[in-house]
Amino acid sequence: MLRRALSQGLRRVRPATSLAGLATAAVVLAGCGDVFDRHPQNTLHNTRGPEADFLANLINPVFAVAGVVFVLVLGGTLFVVLKFRARDDDDAEEIPRQIHGNMRLELGWTFLPALILLGVAIATVVGVFRLAEKPSEDALRVQVIGQQWWWEYRYDLDRDGAYDDVTTANDLVIPAGREVDLSITSRDVIHSFWAPRLNGKRDAVPNRDHPWRLEAERPGEYVGQCTEFCGLSHAEMRIKVIALTTGQFDRWADGQQEQARAFAADDTSLAGQGAALFNQQLCSSCHLIEGVNDDKVPNGVIKDRNLQMSRRAPNLTHFMSRTTFAGAKFDLRKDTPECRKLGVTWADDPDDLTRCLDRAALEAWLRNPPAEKAMAADPVPGKTGGRGMPNLNLDEAQIDQLIAYLTTLK
Amino acid sequence: MALTPTTNRGPLELPSGARPTATPLGVFARPRASRGWRSWVTTVDHKKIGVMYGVAAMFFFIVGGVEALLIRLQLATPNGKLLSADLYNQVYTMHGTTMVFLVVMPIGSAFMNYLIPLQIGARDVAFPRLNAFGLWVFVAGGVMLNSSWLFGHAPDGGWFMYAPNSSIHFSPTNGIDFWNMGLILTGLASLTGAINLIVTCLNLRAPGMSLMKMPVFTWMSLVTQFLLLFAIPVLTSAQFLLMFDRLFGARFFDVDAGADPLLWEHLFWIFGHPEVYIMILPAFGVVSEIIPVFSRKPIFGYPFMVFSGIAIGFMGWGVWAHHMFASGIGPLSVAAFSVSTMFIAVPTGVKILNWLATMWGGKLRFTTPMLFAIGLVTMFTIGGLSGVTHAVAPADTQQTDTYYIVAHFHYVLFGGALMGFIGGFYFWWPKVFGYQLNDRIGKLNFWVILIGFNLTFGPMHILGMQGMPRRIYTYRDGYGFNFWNFVSTIGAFIIALAVVMFFANIVVSRRRARAAAKVLAADPWDGRSLEGMVPSPTPEHNFDEVPVITQFDDFWHRKYGEDDKGRPVRIAATADVVQTGDATDVHLPSPSYWPLVLAAGLPIVGYGLIYNLWLCLVGGLFVIAAIYGLTMEPSVDDEAPPAATTTGPRSATPARATPPPSPSGPTRRLRSLDRHHLHLHQHSGRRARAGARGDGGGRREPRARHQHRHLQREAGHVGVPGLGVPAVRWAHLHLPALQGEQPGWRPAPAGALRHPLHLHQLVRAADELAHHGAGGGGHRAGDSAKPGPGCSPPPPSAASSSPARCTSSRPS
Repeated sequence: MLRRALSQGLRRVRPATSLAGLATAAVVLAGCGDVFDRHPQNTLHNTRGPEADFLANLINPVFAVAGVVFVLVLGGTLFVVLKFRARDDDDAEEIPRQIHGNMRLELGWTFLPALILLGVAIATVVGVFRLAEKPSEDALRVQVIGQQWWWEYRYDLDRDGAYDDVTTANDLVIPAGREVDLSITSRDVIHSFWAPRLNGKRDAVPNRDHPWRLEAERPGEYVGQCTEFCGLSHAEMRIKVIALTTGQFDRWADGQQEQARAFAADDTSLAGQGAALFNQQLCSSCHLIEGVNDDKVPNGVIKDRNLQMSRRAPNLTHFMSRTTFAGAKFDLRKDTPECRKLGVTWADDPDDLTRCLDRAALEAWLRNPPAEKAMAADPVPGKTGGRGMPNLNLDEAQIDQLIAYLTTLK
Repeated sequence: MALTPTTNRGPLELPSGARPTATPLGVFARPRASRGWRSWVTTVDHKKIGVMYGVAAMFFFIVGGVEALLIRLQLATPNGKLLSADLYNQVYTMHGTTMVFLVVMPIGSAFMNYLIPLQIGARDVAFPRLNAFGLWVFVAGGVMLNSSWLFGHAPDGGWFMYAPNSSIHFSPTNGIDFWNMGLILTGLASLTGAINLIVTCLNLRAPGMSLMKMPVFTWMSLVTQFLLLFAIPVLTSAQFLLMFDRLFGARFFDVDAGADPLLWEHLFWIFGHPEVYIMILPAFGVVSEIIPVFSRKPIFGYPFMVFSGIAIGFMGWGVWAHHMFASGIGPLSVAAFSVSTMFIAVPTGVKILNWLATMWGGKLRFTTPMLFAIGLVTMFTIGGLSGVTHAVAPADTQQTDTYYIVAHFHYVLFGGALMGFIGGFYFWWPKVFGYQLNDRIGKLNFWVILIGFNLTFGPMHILGMQGMPRRIYTYRDGYGFNFWNFVSTIGAFIIALAVVMFFANIVVSRRRARAAAKVLAADPWDGRSLEGMVPSPTPEHNFDEVPVITQFDDFWHRKYGEDDKGRPVRIAATADVVQTGDATDVHLPSPSYWPLVLAAGLPIVGYGLIYNLWLCLVGGLFVIAAIYGLTMEPSVDDEAPPAATTTGPRSATPARATPPPSPSGPTRRLRSLDRHHLHLHQHSGRRARAGARGDGGGRREPRARHQHRHLQREAGHVGVPGLGVPAVRWAHLHLPALQGEQPGWRPAPAGALRHPLHLHQLVRAADELAHHGAGGGGHRAGDSAKPGPGCSPPPPSAASSSPARCTSSRPS
């Protein structure tokens, strides 16, 4: 048992990691089960995408070479230090030979590392161009848009060049086993899109569209984070890629293209009151629900610049098909095994919905969003508009009504 | 010649013939203090300035260290609540900015300021008042930057300050403005320092010290200064753009107006990557001094060490975009920068192996400095190797902006630069302060640092590979980040303990040294470079007599020669080789208030730009007054109390074997006697000796003395910022006339005079001229400007009493 634990632990420690790191690891393995936490963002183990596999396979030999070089240098240092140390019985007046250099030796250790590096360089350049290859013709086209502090995904399902077929946020839903052709950009500052187990990262830069590929070998949920510092909630600008089977994905895509259910203005059900509240409150000036407030937020663009620096807020039309909210900081679907098993359709059945909705988190969010996530929601007059969702000072009854309405947005 | 009537007037002399006043604005009397705080704030002495750079850097090191501890405490456990996201962003931004600009860079400056003149056999740097200005403007910048904490909000965009996150829309507080102003000021310090030290290295070397005889530390410093010279303007330009964006509504980085944010990334990293070498090369230099001394062998492959440093300096300009592998710059650029980044590892690797080869076959003494040097060699190797793994650009898309990078650059900058610098502190402490730091505490200190450092930053490699991003104020439970983060936090506190130990060591060692009241030997480590020749602590005038250099490690070769079998043997006792520090009549520049005033005016302009433009007027007046004062103030303090006549021991011939004087002895007398003299590099020391040997060498025939003063004043302007040009003009106007008057004297070639770097020759020539005016000797200054190896002509006034100095105390 201990041996297994040890070997497992040591495998996690890369060769390039310092010996001291190794030593610490050994000390630590003595009792901390925590070392064996699962690592959902691991870049080297349990990668699940061809690109991530490729990157791990590219870097592992380099780690090995670096490790060998380090061991040689450290060993050499130890050897020199032990062998040539001044000893107490040395003649203090005896001076070692004054060797000023050795041209051959020096040329040798100039060119030998250069040769090793040449090998690494060739592999690298090949890798660079492989990573930049164009995706295949039948790849799924998705635009990834970063903004403070959430990700929006827009799909071009009909391949007409416009990313206007499906708009969603937080969860990037993709079909497993099919290449996804991402076009990454930003609406405000620089972000970086990263799902480590599928591929490396690529910056989302305003005014630029960066191509990137993604492929999940099998269905599952893969998490990531924004990795370019983007302000207050950089740490909580999370990414979740949900890979579905092709059939599931097609059903999901069809569902996403439907409009939201409309409520009559005099509907007195809880959800109906929530719908009315949504339209009266500030909600409807930022969040688009297709078929409900298209005129207030045309094409999802917020009219009043002061309300939102990026001029967008997540499209809520199919809110309940997502598993997270608020920039994927919070779980909308409880993160339990049975709820996870329900996938993106967790809210379709009323029982599942009741069981799996993380109602407490949603309530807390509606009560006071800036307290739940670091944001700068209040505009600074003359300098900047709001960034993030402001506190709308909703009372408990209004929160209940809104949640009832939101649960209809499947 | 039409201009002949003005022969004896310089460009600043008044038509009436009146002399420029020593208090040009009537505000300040010239500072005269040679002790106490006044002597420190007005000093233009490179050693005091170096020490103050060190003190300021250590102060900011504590500030940055506290910020580091806050970061580690926040990240010790998941969902840390110690700092809010907003505060965390400020703390980590300030930690990075402080450690780079206010700690590692100025510690490098401290070493370079103190050591370069000593290692090349000079009395001071080329522009002493500019040097003082550099120090004060650095302090002003550091204080300005950190004052943002007091004004409500520190900068929060990261030390890299990427646009557009640094714009007013995304950072509406004033923090980033403080960052801009503060770093523009410290940039000014770096830039003036770079010009100063480059000129110093190129022009003020002792006779015989060709470039390829310079110590490796001075070489690495020279490369560093060239990097600064070209890198700092890029950062400053970028910061000006950002400043105009934020304060005056310009739109350089406004994406709504079509800006491409990659512009800032490129500008920042074109500065930012050479900056890495700016931080590490001086430490490489320090280690290249320590290892040979404690191996008792010369540095292995000196030319390779020098040229690898130069190669790093050059290649450092071609690798910046490796910070941008994920930024979308296109595969061709990525491939090019990836390859260039890989190959910059070659010269670095050469250095590591040459250090090992230096130790090979030596007799290693494991003193504290040596331990730190070996620490650098091994720890930097880890940082260098992880650097190669980032150079694999495709894989870097997984590594970049994760803790793996944090681990990497801390291994480079802490395990490399700081490790080397702390070793340097232990190594040169005796030279600077006249007492040694306790070696036992020092060794313990080393091991505690080594353990703490590896415990802090080693686990970050693992965290990065496990996918923990940088710059996050918190992380979640369940991602596997908990354990190593906790270890890392423990390590950080062990480092803090080591830092406390270091300061405690200073206190303890100082107290013990005072109690023992023992005079420290000039050369406690059996050193190899010239600074071992002067007493510890270094006297104000550095060298009693500027040594003539015949070979690399000249000082060591004065102590050791070879027997008939070619084996190294001692040929002279150290006490016979070192100087005693009792020179008199040495010319040193006078202290001045103006550098401080100039540096104080600039942050006021900065605050004015942020808060109220009227303040700029106030600051601007300071600046203009200070520039005026600096310009009009003669380098020589003519109004200083007249020098005491040659009484007492000064007229006696100093015995070579006398033990080094105590710091309060002749050195202080020297200050009171000679502080009104101009800093002149070359012949003054020799003349001083001659004067001390022959009787009455200090007294000169009155007319010649007057002329000497006059020339000093003119020549002294070489040392004033911006006044190099008048000096050259003056030379062109007057030298031919002077040449006519002085048959024995020949000016440097005209082409050389037109080139500012050769102004030093002019200074020397003018000095020489003065003496020919006095003694009418037949010796030519043109010859002395290029001294032959091992020999320079004797000073005229001493020609009869002293033979050629170059033959004395030379082995071979």
